[in-house]
Amino acid sequence: MAPSTQSVDRLEALILPHLDDAYTLARYLLRDEHDAQDAVQDAALRAVRYADGFRDGDSRAWFLVIVRNCCLTRRRRQQNEPPMISLLDDAAPLSDSSAADARAIERSDRELLARAVSTLPVEFQEVIVLREIQQLSYSEISDVVGAPIGTVMSRLSRARKRLAVALGRTSQEAG
Amino acid sequence: MHTDHCLDLLDAYVDGELPSDERAAVRAHVAECVSCAGALESLAATSRILQENLVHYVAPDVLKARIRSALADAPASELDSSPALGPTPRSTSARPAPPSRWLRIAGGVAAAVVIAAASSATTLAVAHRDDSSRRLANEVLTSHIRSLMPGHLVDVASTNQHNVKPWFNGRVNLSPAVPGLDSAGFPLVGGRLDYLDGHATATVVYMRRQHVINIYSWPSADDARDAAPTTAESRSAQGYHLVSWRSGDIEYCAVSDLNAGELAAFVVLYRRMSGEPSR
Repeated sequence: MAPSTQSVDRLEALILPHLDDAYTLARYLLRDEHDAQDAVQDAALRAVRYADGFRDGDSRAWFLVIVRNCCLTRRRRQQNEPPMISLLDDAAPLSDSSAADARAIERSDRELLARAVSTLPVEFQEVIVLREIQQLSYSEISDVVGAPIGTVMSRLSRARKRLAVALGRTSQEAG
Repeated sequence: MHTDHCLDLLDAYVDGELPSDERAAVRAHVAECVSCAGALESLAATSRILQENLVHYVAPDVLKARIRSALADAPASELDSSPALGPTPRSTSARPAPPSRWLRIAGGVAAAVVIAAASSATTLAVAHRDDSSRRLANEVLTSHIRSLMPGHLVDVASTNQHNVKPWFNGRVNLSPAVPGLDSAGFPLVGGRLDYLDGHATATVVYMRRQHVINIYSWPSADDARDAAPTTAESRSAQGYHLVSWRSGDIEYCAVSDLNAGELAAFVVLYRRMSGEPSR
């Protein structure tokens, strides 16, 4: 192969394995699939610029920090954002408890769930996505969102309680 | 352990983030405290529902190809400043843009391609078209445009030529060449089946930056076989460029909205790197 693909290979190894995770985070934070694609592409280009600064460690967390920042920048720029109707302020659960039972969630409920997540404040959304979808540790989440672990725990706990209410499950407190 | 304290630790407990002594303390407390047991069950169920039902998105192939292309096209100074390449000239001011990058990456082959593209662009035959070939060009163009619609680009998505080429076996009556052209800036996206001119067609899909390039291949008419490989002929329609040729007993057509010069260069490279595909 060509000699200069050596550094391209390094870049690819840092970024390509994490594209699905990156795109997932971007989809939840930005909702629109084209915005999400553009954000991930921006993040990849920015990662190229910062790649020399990355030594050893977790390249996934490293790349997700960049992706998160690109997404949040885009969010701030997004005009005409649809009004955030919080499904979770409603006292009544979205569906009755029996239908919301663990194994019986249908496709439309999946979309309701995704929508419930998307109406959370962004700092709650991102910890839910990073923990429940991408299974990052608290320490990794702390690195990605740039907040202390205690804050991560608190946000995660409150986010889950809100979603529990949305799912129609009883919980001790709706935080 | 007090109930309030236990409640604060439940999330970390469910997530396996507690050190062993705290984990044991929570477990012991939950065994004796009904309200904490209920809270734990609710939390564990919520987390499980989220994990099992939140959509995991997969990055679209087009995005992956675009990023691979962008990584390969990253500005020369970015890559050359990386220590992985070893000693490099400090000054980048004397470094020209893309054409020298082609030369650097693909060596003599790329140099020949750039030269060949320049000369072939001026000698490509723009032949007089009869109705049937215009009809065929329209068919190809229609197929190309349809492939650009979401979800219709590839039947087999892989950037690995060793996955794509054998995929066609048993699906079409020819085995298309699928050369790896990543280092020249044409990442492979995958393969697709089409139907053109009354024939099952094997389509190999590459990208150049954000431009899709479809290379269609189908069997030639009987009376056209055994003829020598033809010069590539090009035409344009609706902003797309088509480059057609025949080699062996296969008809080829490369279609893209990529500019004509680069598409012509791509065809030269594809033909050179693919040898003679067989039935």
